[in-house]
Amino acid sequence: MRAYLQVACRILAICATIQGCSKSGGVAHDPKLSTLGTIEVTAKLVDTGGEFPPNDLYDYAHVMKYEVQQTHRGKIEGNVIYVGHYNPLKARNAVADERVKDVGGNVTKFIAGDVHRMALVAPIDEHFMGGIVNKLPESGKGPIYWALWTERAG
Amino acid sequence: MAGSIRVKMLRAHRNCCFLLSLLIIVVGSHALDEREASLAKELHDKGWILYSAKSDNGTWDLFMMRPDGSDARNLTNTPDIEEAAPRFSPSSDRILFRSLKKGTKIDHDKWGFQGQLMVAAPDATNAQSVGGDGEYSWASWSPDGKSIVCLLPKGIQVVDLQSKKVVREIPRKGIYQQLFWSPDGKAFTGTGNVGGASWNVVRLDIESGEVTPVHIFQSCTPDWFPDSQHIIYSSRPDNQKANNGYGWTQLWMAKGDGSENKLIFGQDGVHIYGGALSPDAKYVVFTKCPVDGGGSESEGAPICIMRMADAPTIQGDSAELRAQHPNVKDGPVLELAKGWEPCWTFNAIGETK
Repeated sequence: MRAYLQVACRILAICATIQGCSKSGGVAHDPKLSTLGTIEVTAKLVDTGGEFPPNDLYDYAHVMKYEVQQTHRGKIEGNVIYVGHYNPLKARNAVADERVKDVGGNVTKFIAGDVHRMALVAPIDEHFMGGIVNKLPESGKGPIYWALWTERAG
Repeated sequence: MAGSIRVKMLRAHRNCCFLLSLLIIVVGSHALDEREASLAKELHDKGWILYSAKSDNGTWDLFMMRPDGSDARNLTNTPDIEEAAPRFSPSSDRILFRSLKKGTKIDHDKWGFQGQLMVAAPDATNAQSVGGDGEYSWASWSPDGKSIVCLLPKGIQVVDLQSKKVVREIPRKGIYQQLFWSPDGKAFTGTGNVGGASWNVVRLDIESGEVTPVHIFQSCTPDWFPDSQHIIYSSRPDNQKANNGYGWTQLWMAKGDGSENKLIFGQDGVHIYGGALSPDAKYVVFTKCPVDGGGSESEGAPICIMRMADAPTIQGDSAELRAQHPNVKDGPVLELAKGWEPCWTFNAIGETK
């Protein structure tokens, strides 16, 4: 009985992996990835920029560090970029509000090591009007990008 | 026997102490009542306080009352819409406010993005919509009252109210909410991002474009003194032990260059927001709310008024706050109706009604 259960769990895990691959294969992405903003990249989240501030009273943009793996659209300098995500404690499909109407995606949690495909625009100050939490002092050297659409990749 | 007499003497001493304490409390509170009554009398004829509040019809409406709390009246009484954040034009010949769909929760952090901007007569009659839902975000008056100034992600826009044309655009330099134009027309104040941190009160010089931090760290809701030199704002100073280390928000003032930061009013147990000066800068109106944010999501908070000559004043036990500010004046503070975002005019409005 236990052996059967183990086999069933493995089959379920394999199915989940296959489904994940099909979504990240490039065909299932939302068209907004290729239309919003001026830049589209696939990048690995290497530093979430510290603990996210609570969002019970106030909503912030939080700056995170990425290593760019592929640039699909637009141009960026170097392979390290800093990206501000709005209200990162919320899933991307539920993050839009009265302040920020044009953000979304399918990422539910921001975890270092995850790979994201993102539609970006820069600089954040010209596109987002709210509190920005930036605990990455090295980000001051280049522009901080504003994430409009964020999907899982890889 | 000697022990029994000693016990009786001790009891008598305790009773005396209790009665004396009671007397001190009664006399003390009576003295405070007298001081409050004197302040109320002084304030009665000093114009009107305009504010938004939850009304009996279940929605937010616009209200007006005398600065002593008398003659309160619901100006709009609209059960089908929510109305909030009214503000007199510089000459008090009009007001602007935001009108929201019924049932919309007024978000203390995002209200400038919510609903439609409206302009009306000072008694809220003849209200006209200026734009659509969410347009003219964080709108406030120009010094001459002919334009409004709005905050957009791409910058500050000055919009002529008559033509609705954008007549000037200015980089916002990190300011993201609560934008107000100085009465002399030379600068803006607002809440902005500075050096990787949010919630700072800044002054933006319009001619030079230079931004000066007025107060760094957990400060917001700035507004101008009539002299255009000083700014009033709310601040929740760092390193407070109270409220599980979160602390309480206090009312402060500073010069536009960030110097001469001074406490105006504080009380442990409440957050102070909505600070605004009387037109002669002799009095200050504010709200004190046990919940951070000012209470716009529920029923607002008591509107309070005190003399600026009594600043700094601290109310309640406020042991931690009193230890930091030992030389306070403990002036009288009038606690009036519940509301949100009050403002003040000395003009005669609706007095023939």
